[in-house]
Amino acid sequence: MTTKTNKGDRRNQPPIAAQRNKSKGGRKGRKPGAPVKVSQGRNWGPIMMFVAVGVIAAGIIGYAFWAQRDTGSLEWSDRAAAIEGIVDYRAENPEMLTNGHVNGQPLQYEVLPPVGGDHNGAWQNCQGNVYDAPIANEHAVHSLEHGAVWVTYNPDTLPADQVSELTSLVEGTDMMLLSPFPELDAPISLQAWGYQLKVDSASDPRINEFVRTLRLNASMEPGATCSGGITATGTVPQDVGDQLGG
Amino acid sequence: MSVAATEAPPAGAAGPAPPRRRFGMGVLATAVAAGLLVGFALAMVTIRPAAAPGEESAEAGFARDMIEHHSQAVTMGVEAFQRGATAQVRQLGYDIALTQQSQIGMMRQWLREWQVSPNTEPGEQMAWMREALDPALIRDGRMPGLATPEQMTALAEAAGTALDRLFMELMIYHHLGGIHMIDGVLERTDDPAVTWLAELMRDGQQRELTVMRDLLAGLDSPGP
Repeated sequence: MTTKTNKGDRRNQPPIAAQRNKSKGGRKGRKPGAPVKVSQGRNWGPIMMFVAVGVIAAGIIGYAFWAQRDTGSLEWSDRAAAIEGIVDYRAENPEMLTNGHVNGQPLQYEVLPPVGGDHNGAWQNCQGNVYDAPIANEHAVHSLEHGAVWVTYNPDTLPADQVSELTSLVEGTDMMLLSPFPELDAPISLQAWGYQLKVDSASDPRINEFVRTLRLNASMEPGATCSGGITATGTVPQDVGDQLGG
Repeated sequence: MSVAATEAPPAGAAGPAPPRRRFGMGVLATAVAAGLLVGFALAMVTIRPAAAPGEESAEAGFARDMIEHHSQAVTMGVEAFQRGATAQVRQLGYDIALTQQSQIGMMRQWLREWQVSPNTEPGEQMAWMREALDPALIRDGRMPGLATPEQMTALAEAAGTALDRLFMELMIYHHLGGIHMIDGVLERTDDPAVTWLAELMRDGQQRELTVMRDLLAGLDSPGP
């Protein structure tokens, strides 16, 4: 700033019309017509310099904010709360989210598809498994406890091409499973332990947001696996995974 | 950073304009850039979490001891997974072995991040909560809940229902000791990562205690 002021002071002030161009251009004795273009050309140097510094500064500051915002996996619950339409049963109804193992019998769930509660001792395999028929809630809830995201759809209302979209989202991705859920009151519903999001279309961007935020983060048993569980379909719980000789 | 700062002025001076004033601009721009870089560096340092747990901290002691504690559970779990008489016990062994092995990885990573030793100094095992140790959970001066070498041999040699029973008896005691250690670290830490894992570990082991007690009761009840 000081530099600028000095420049202005150093020079005798020309008539107002010419002042702007002259002072920037910094050459004396030019005719009023021509200097305009010349001095404009000269002025790009400092302008570019400040623009460059400004861009770099914005980049650095922007990066710092981005880096700070994007770390901190411990704040995943805040990110979950920001997803439009998500239901947080951990806050709304924590009593529902019991975690006992109950074998040998079907269980009733308050919310369907269930997002937590007592479950069968065996979990449904959730290594990106795509089930083409309904599976037992009692196993799927156990998978949620291990940190999986369970994607369900209504086979009567979701078009086949959207089922394919969901399939490519889930297939082969550990800690994910997909199954049809007849009577579902929305075309698609996503579940993590204590969380649910219902959407109408497989292209809804909130699906990815839900998966990115809650897969693994919502685990109640950090380190637990999606292997070694039930791989069969059918809604009657069967207590022990086939791999383990049930 | 200093490289970027010193390189800025030549780049400015190389422009097509008269040298004097441009040099002033160059100096100014360099100063601005340097200021930003210093500010950025300071921000990076302050954004970083506060002091990590140190060599002598309860957190580091817990991590080192719990890694070893978990590793015995993994051995027991694999025995049960491979040779358990019932599918439920095989499944339980599978779950415990893989989950605890994965948690060992998480705790090893803590020690790396904190830049503390992964190895316990001689005589320092459980020192981080020594004054609070429950003697009822200690066998032969080992960590709370740990099985003795003789018990581990007995497990390796057991078969059938005897294996299932011994596995669950040893694992119940093991979990009780583990929960004692977890309670110990939770009383001594406010580290968010440690609190997060320790609380979920405790919940998980308490759940497994219920499962094992039920299964044991089933073995003892009328029937085969």
